[in-house]
Amino acid sequence: MKYEASHLTDQELLLDIERIPSGHKEKVIRTHLDGCWKCRARRKGLENAITDFVHVYQRESDPELPPAAGPRALLRARLAQLAATEPARRSIGTLVWRGLALASAVCGVLALGFILSRFSVVWRDSSARAGIVSIPDARLTPGATLLISRPDVCAQPDTKNKAVPVSMQRKVFEEYGIPGADPGAYEVDYLVTPALGGADDIHNLWPHSYAATAWNARVKDALEDRLREMVCDGSLDLSEAQREIAANWIAAYKKYFHTDKPLAEHCRRCGE
Amino acid sequence: MSSRITGSMILPFLRTASATDPDKRRVRLQDDVTSLFDRFRNPLLRYLWNLGLTLPDGEEILQDVFLSLFQHLDRGKPLYDARGWLFRVAHNLALKRRGRSRRDSEGREQAGVEDLAVDPAPNPEDRLASSQTQQRLMAVVRALPEQDRRCLFLRAEGLRYSEIAGILDMSPAAISLSLSRSLARLVRSAERYTL
Repeated sequence: MKYEASHLTDQELLLDIERIPSGHKEKVIRTHLDGCWKCRARRKGLENAITDFVHVYQRESDPELPPAAGPRALLRARLAQLAATEPARRSIGTLVWRGLALASAVCGVLALGFILSRFSVVWRDSSARAGIVSIPDARLTPGATLLISRPDVCAQPDTKNKAVPVSMQRKVFEEYGIPGADPGAYEVDYLVTPALGGADDIHNLWPHSYAATAWNARVKDALEDRLREMVCDGSLDLSEAQREIAANWIAAYKKYFHTDKPLAEHCRRCGE
Repeated sequence: MSSRITGSMILPFLRTASATDPDKRRVRLQDDVTSLFDRFRNPLLRYLWNLGLTLPDGEEILQDVFLSLFQHLDRGKPLYDARGWLFRVAHNLALKRRGRSRRDSEGREQAGVEDLAVDPAPNPEDRLASSQTQQRLMAVVRALPEQDRRCLFLRAEGLRYSEIAGILDMSPAAISLSLSRSLARLVRSAERYTL
């Protein structure tokens, strides 16, 4: 907007609104505004435009954003993977050492990728064929959690997992490469149970096979109850419980029940 | 993590740098990067969406941004302004990605109109006036030159002129000029509407 030379420009008015120091100019602007109704009205107009824009900007964008739990969990898993595959930085290092480290990291990543892809194919083929899945794929189900505190977790009266909608179950089957799976053969299970702050998100769900005779859903339920007890009596940190169950729930079971196989009271078919 | 974040974010990473055991240091680093994700994911995603990316594309870019941040810090590189760094990297990755997958703008505009239709204003007259104001305002914003729009979105996310200048590779004075030009257009539009 162009104004006669005696008035302030829009840029000068904005500098004043934003309180950006501009030295001598700042004083000139203030002095002019003190005596000029017209420029004060224009300044007010700019402020109103900022207010209107911010309201509309927030309003138009915020409701569209999906929950952060899934992407957050995915990031945690990818960070852990990155930290595991890249060599840690040391304070003393030569160019040769760095070159070797880089080469080995690249080889490691390639080898890991190769192994994972082979494993994935074999695993998916075998799981589709045999229909047995006891441990979720960490890339598909890293375990999404909510930002929730220990008191909030322990205040939840109902610790029973709510049913996963059929449409979500189908998505999980598709993710795991078994789109035509019989829903009756699997329990689409939460990796981190909501009773421990697990999120209602696809990154926290996997098809837990009923065909698994030893490490089945009932055994996992027992672990979840045990961990929740420990979290709520203060003997285990909530984030630690979430991390352990997400990393390998079978290993966590072995650790917290001090056993290599499911206890009889947790598993009716373990002897089969 | 310290909540003293005003653009410059050195404090949280002092904790990371102080850990001598590399493995412990990395665990802390992961926690710090996740904390930054919690804090900046929504503003970044909103900015990417307003740049014209789909939300899934935006989420993917943000994963790359925060993994890059981890690598940046893991190599011992300094981070004087986390917010500016994150927006700059996200902005650059978005421009690369946008060439490949551009959001259907017609669908977006339609969605915007539908959102306006459910505006919970206190009465029908206010609701109509409010939605008309929003439509008029967004029409003006959409008609702005792209760089001016980016300035406006970044400023609306709370970034300072120097941060925006770093992200868009412009001088702070050019940012000031761009913002005043855009706001003047919004003012003119409001004046035309009320007269």
